[in-house]
Amino acid sequence: MLLDPGMNLTLRPMRYPAFYDRYRAAIRNTWTVEEVDLHSDLADLARLTPAELHLVNRLVAFFATGDTIVANNLVLNLYKHLNAPEARLYLSRQVFEEAVHVQFYLTLLDTYLPDHTERAKAFAAVDNIPAIRDKAEFCFRWIDSLGDLDELRTRHDRRAFLLNLICFAACIEGLFFYGAFAYVYWLRSRGLLNGLASGTNWVFRDESMHMEFAFSVVDTVRAEEPDLFDDALTGQVTRMMEEAVAAELAFARDLCGDGLPGLSAEDMRAYLEYVADQRLARLDMPARYGTANPLAFMELQDVQELSNFFERRVSAYQIGVEGTVTLDETF
Amino acid sequence: MTQELIAPPDAGIEEIERACAGLAGVDPRRLPAEREAAIAQAAALVAAEPAYSMVAARLLARQVAEEVGEGGFAASVEAAHAEGLINEDMARFVAAHARELDALVDHGADDRFTYFGLRTVYDRYLLRHPRSRQVLERPQYFFLRVACGLAESVAEAAELYGLMSSLSYLPSSPTLFNSGAARPQLSSCFLLDSPRDELEAIYERYGQVARLSKYAGGIGISWSRVRSRGSLIRGTNGHSNGIVPWLRTLDASVAAVNQGGRRQGAACVYLETWHADIEEFLELRDNTGEDARRTHNLSLANWVPDEFMRRVEADADWSLFDPKDVPELVDLWGEEFDAAYRAAEAAGKAAHSLPARRLYGRMMRTLAETGNGWMTFKDAANRTCNQTAEPGNVVHLSNLCTEILQVTDDDQTAVCNLGSINLAAHTGPEGMDWARLRATVRTAVRFLDRTIDRGFYPTPEAAAANTAWRPVGLGVMGLADVLFRLRLPFDSPQALELSTRIAEEIALTAYGTSADLAREHGPHPAYQRTRAARGVLHLDHWPDARPHHPGEWTQVRRKVAETGLRNSLLIAIAPTATIASIAGCYECVEPQVSNLFKRETLSGEFLQLNSYLVADLKTRGLWTPQIRDAIKRADGSVQDIAEIPEDLRALYRTAWELPQKALIDLAAARTPYIDQSQSLNLFMAAPTIGKLSSMYAYAWRSGLKTTYYLRSRPATRIAQTTLTQAVTPEAASEAVMCSLENPEICEACQ
Repeated sequence: MLLDPGMNLTLRPMRYPAFYDRYRAAIRNTWTVEEVDLHSDLADLARLTPAELHLVNRLVAFFATGDTIVANNLVLNLYKHLNAPEARLYLSRQVFEEAVHVQFYLTLLDTYLPDHTERAKAFAAVDNIPAIRDKAEFCFRWIDSLGDLDELRTRHDRRAFLLNLICFAACIEGLFFYGAFAYVYWLRSRGLLNGLASGTNWVFRDESMHMEFAFSVVDTVRAEEPDLFDDALTGQVTRMMEEAVAAELAFARDLCGDGLPGLSAEDMRAYLEYVADQRLARLDMPARYGTANPLAFMELQDVQELSNFFERRVSAYQIGVEGTVTLDETF
Repeated sequence: MTQELIAPPDAGIEEIERACAGLAGVDPRRLPAEREAAIAQAAALVAAEPAYSMVAARLLARQVAEEVGEGGFAASVEAAHAEGLINEDMARFVAAHARELDALVDHGADDRFTYFGLRTVYDRYLLRHPRSRQVLERPQYFFLRVACGLAESVAEAAELYGLMSSLSYLPSSPTLFNSGAARPQLSSCFLLDSPRDELEAIYERYGQVARLSKYAGGIGISWSRVRSRGSLIRGTNGHSNGIVPWLRTLDASVAAVNQGGRRQGAACVYLETWHADIEEFLELRDNTGEDARRTHNLSLANWVPDEFMRRVEADADWSLFDPKDVPELVDLWGEEFDAAYRAAEAAGKAAHSLPARRLYGRMMRTLAETGNGWMTFKDAANRTCNQTAEPGNVVHLSNLCTEILQVTDDDQTAVCNLGSINLAAHTGPEGMDWARLRATVRTAVRFLDRTIDRGFYPTPEAAAANTAWRPVGLGVMGLADVLFRLRLPFDSPQALELSTRIAEEIALTAYGTSADLAREHGPHPAYQRTRAARGVLHLDHWPDARPHHPGEWTQVRRKVAETGLRNSLLIAIAPTATIASIAGCYECVEPQVSNLFKRETLSGEFLQLNSYLVADLKTRGLWTPQIRDAIKRADGSVQDIAEIPEDLRALYRTAWELPQKALIDLAAARTPYIDQSQSLNLFMAAPTIGKLSSMYAYAWRSGLKTTYYLRSRPATRIAQTTLTQAVTPEAASEAVMCSLENPEICEACQ
């Protein structure tokens, strides 16, 4: 079984080909930081109101450390316990993607904050800004929850692992990051910071896949060990979501202050509750909030993009195309 | 989408404003200060009811009107002139005819705008005060300003203004930006021959590119004359690093010139397929590998001789050369090229050789992975070009959008002034209004011709070429709208017939008008050097073409023989990305990419919903929230929605779902009537080398002169946030399976 202790090396026959497919799909979506043009954002930054600038600075501070935390959990916990080489292939790829995200946000920070003390302050936010510190502590607590476990021997161990996995997929990538993306898209809906938004499109695509991979691991474990899933687990996950929503809402209050045109902390609360319900539904768990999505601009993120190539770089190409030259195929 | 409709879209504007503002939590007494929120709310409702696009547009039009303030058109021109934005001739013309011009303005025409269209006009096209950044003109003033910038009388201004305000015809963006302006650079594209193989010539070209880029023109530039990597440099006894470092410099230079903040500078580099650096050239846009050998801002195009395609077909070898060893190849085409190429091979001059199919496969890979590396065909381009009658006049490249084909050399930078007819505005329920279409063509050609005289040319080489050849590029947009209205699927024989007939009517009328202009002003100075002067019109290169109006062609031919032509070239189908947005129609001759998609532009993001589909679904009682969500879940496809009847599913296929052969066949059938070329995008959701190589070989055999982007889709997609039903793991893995593992058998993508 997937969570059995060990270091399985067998790829043929392959037990979980869907994981391998996800690994290959991820490779086709390779992007690099050099493709994102952030300099066009500088003119926008100069135009922002103090309240908007506050929001952007806080966002940058969150992004500065967010993906590094996720990568740490991947290496410290998920890679160790997911005992299938095809799953570990995907995780290796995910670690690479997290590294690209870290590099992207570092480049963003260097571009947006030319002052070296400001840059250092952004990294220190994880200690100094309460709303960011609380989110980080939430993450560290769940990383540490598996700290002493070398092998998932008992039912209790496996439940602990599942909670860690679900936390990173549903609460951290699936809620904290989705919250952050919403601010970026809110800015873009007003024609601001297109560079940040175009890089975020790619990060968003990657994070969606990370989350979907984690959920498909949950599905697999559920199929293999249905008795791990019971009301107690649902209760634990729901409480965890509540905590995550509360932490993210505190962050939203810090960011939005007294409200920004078209975006308030109340809107963000409803949005976060809505997203949390989506995550619970994906886990086959009952909705906790029953809130509707209030952010019309997020509606747009679900729709295929068509860029005007004079204005933006098109992000929708594949790499690793296969086949050989023939002249008589149908097309 | 759970948004409730707040007021019927046909309600009075005050009621809608109140309703929108109320929804946004705004005190209705504070209107219109809070109108922006109301506009955003109305725009958000477009997903549920496309008519809200018009509502948002009307709200925005009010906001613009208030920003501009009282006073008519002439007053607005005067204000802009006072800020140095308007040229003297224009200011004098408007002042002299202020009352008549003011009377032409029809603000009611604003109601034709979609929200995205008006937003684009507002954010990017309206003249703004240099310091306050407030707009100085209303949308109708903007159209009239453009018309006055090209007119010689009030009647002329009225004629062009009428076409624009009815969204029947729009000049290209540079003309819209700059007509009447202090520096009226009106041309869309510039084509530069390759620099000579010398340091000074290369640096001189960078300067030209920068000057042309500055005024919002797109650049095409060949690099085929520059020696390849490893070539000996006599002056220093060193070896050349090839073309890549030079293109890196070009890349940086293009990125540095931002077109007044309105567009990023853009350039496309053309390279002939025999150049020894071709393989490195094809890697310039890869996102992996050494960044010192990448150019992220340049577009890339292959300038492919027939000999190469023949060798691909025969599975033979292909030789690559250092241009220094075969300087003659760049200026030869057709049989002379074939002979010179083979002679160079026989003389052992090749740098190296490889199987033609290996290089072709590499070209296909670049297309799939970057969308770049456009396939454009050197021999077809030269064989049929009106400007290549005499030796030494050679088409060396196409432009940034692969629709312009003109001769270039060191002293001539080709220029093209473009405009496009909105076919949707010439269609009734029964079909095309041919008489109106012809009338529009006549006006459009006259004003395109006028742009040649009114335009400001950033370099003497551009001025020299444009005044000698006087080429223009009249194109179309909204073909997809026509086919939706007449209920003709893109791949139906009727669509092929209609699309070809449209191209013919336009060409026929354009040639007649250009002959009329020649009667008035004389033929263009280089006329004696054209094929037309020798009695050969573009259509004659297609002896198999069966025109709908053979008699009228005979008349036009007679007229041309008598008067000559005012313009050496007349027709080019440009991509129309931005002006189709303004006109609210589908782009050029393209099928729709999706029934539901978003546009990302510098102005923000906009949802685009196929309003023809929505109208049809409403008629059949099928426009329900469930079906709306199903379309969204399917990324704008209606193919797998069982509730939607078969005939609608066939009509509303997207570019991804249509056979690409049909797009190529449509393009090939209209080619006899396109004396330059067309920006033909091809679409393949999950490309393979086999499919691509077959498709482009077919395009070449069909006689296409150029192709444009290959559009493909990302291998994975984001998880949708705002749909309540989660993506099931089966559906997710099916999608991955479909696009990656089994492209051959995947029905959805065929």
